[in-house]
Amino acid sequence: MDVVIENLPFLLRGAYYTLLITIVSMFFGSIIAVFVAVARLKGNRPIRWMARAYVSIIRGTPTLVQIIIVYYGLVDYGIKLQPLTAAYIALSISIGAYLSETLRGALQSIPKGQMEAAYASGMTPVQTMRRIIFPQAIRVAIPPAGNTFIGMLKETSLVSVITVTELLRSSQLLIAQYYVYMPFYISIAIMYWIMSTGFSFLLERLEKRLSIYV
Amino acid sequence: MIKTTALSKSFQQLEVLKEIDVQVNSGEVVAILGPSGSGKSTLLRCFNGLEELTGGSMQVCGVLVDAKQSKKERTKRIRQIRLNTGMVFQQFNLYPHKTVLQNVIEALLIVKKWPKERAVEKGESLLARVGLLEKKDVYPSRLSGGQQQRVAIARALAMEPDLMLFDEPTSSLDPELVDEVLAVIKELAKDGMTMAVVTHEMQFAREVADRIIFMADGVIVEEGKPEAFFTNPETDRAKKFLKKK
Ligand SMILES: Nc1ncnc2c1ncn2[C@@H]1O[C@H](COP(=O)(O)OP(=O)(O)O)[C@@H](O)[C@H]1O
Ligand SMILES: [Mg+2]
Repeated sequence: MDVVIENLPFLLRGAYYTLLITIVSMFFGSIIAVFVAVARLKGNRPIRWMARAYVSIIRGTPTLVQIIIVYYGLVDYGIKLQPLTAAYIALSISIGAYLSETLRGALQSIPKGQMEAAYASGMTPVQTMRRIIFPQAIRVAIPPAGNTFIGMLKETSLVSVITVTELLRSSQLLIAQYYVYMPFYISIAIMYWIMSTGFSFLLERLEKRLSIYV
Repeated sequence: MIKTTALSKSFQQLEVLKEIDVQVNSGEVVAILGPSGSGKSTLLRCFNGLEELTGGSMQVCGVLVDAKQSKKERTKRIRQIRLNTGMVFQQFNLYPHKTVLQNVIEALLIVKKWPKERAVEKGESLLARVGLLEKKDVYPSRLSGGQQQRVAIARALAMEPDLMLFDEPTSSLDPELVDEVLAVIKELAKDGMTMAVVTHEMQFAREVADRIIFMADGVIVEEGKPEAFFTNPETDRAKKFLKKK
């Protein structure tokens, strides 16, 4: 146990990167999701088709493979990314696909009468989307998106394979140094658990706050 | 205020409105009656462009819309019409994520770009008019159906429309809540608002309407003064319809 205490700063640094990668990917993934969801619902045929292909490919392939392609695969084309950059890109693209599906479902769940009422009052399609449809869809999407977020937190461990020193790789580096396994693995498991439940808690609070109107 | 010429509407093969010629004059209250599925809602929704006409033309609030115009031109004109019409729906369609007052002033802020204070002042006076000022800060889900529909009417009035369209405004209300909504509509009629009201409330139509339009199967079967229509309908269709009521 002493080795863990001694190396706690190093592990916490790993946890910090895990959090950072989760939040950054979630942020850019959300932006991607908005565009893709709107493209699938309102785009013309080629745009709809491209958005669909993106979602299908991402959902149909392992996240690990996507990470490896972005980091190692792109080298063939002369693109040599920093591991952390590659992690951001791969995970944003990945999570964007899942979130876009959540958002699309949420947008479709808003009754048509909402749009009609807004149009009838003279609002343009863009105003209607921004002021009426989106705010409602976001509330519908938050619980499932929150679950995606927590899933994401755990998936970040995958980027250890491209040498990003997040939480899992931090422990592996220490294990290689001290030749003890369990204390480090248990420690990081606990850290993952604390972060996940922390997010769950925040999420519940957020859901409560957003549901005041029902 | 409204004048259509051979207005037609089809959904794919289904011809829902067949060359309708109808007129609503300024200050007039017209009740549109007819069995369900006869095209009443579709006609009303054509007036403010929620449905696109597929044939003929119409002039609403001084704006001409023709099925032959380009899509872009029609969109522009429809928007012009919507700025001058208010619509009230059977299902209220209030914005659930906005308070009562926010519902009423949303279009004033977003479409007309009024400053907040001015919009709030207007919104509050409209809520007072429908008797719901004390509910201004609650969310629609906390209101009864009748109250929600009154808010929806206030919301439609906020844009100071020249024309109000009502699509069965009381059909999804519990019977004991119908009157409070009809009372608000009657007030509007008294104030001289031009209105087209699709309704199944025969007593209301008889009392308030200046003219009855009776539709069946996508055509106007009969049209006339309420007294004449209700006491002495000319067509068999209308006789049958009134007997069932
Ligand atoms: N969006 C739509 N797509 C296909 N058919 C429709 C649509 N809206 C209405 N209809 C059809 O048009 C006809 C008239 O409908 P509607 O105008 O709602 O009648 P009413 O309001 O008189 O009950 C019905 O047969 C209905 O099924
Ligand atoms: Mg109808």
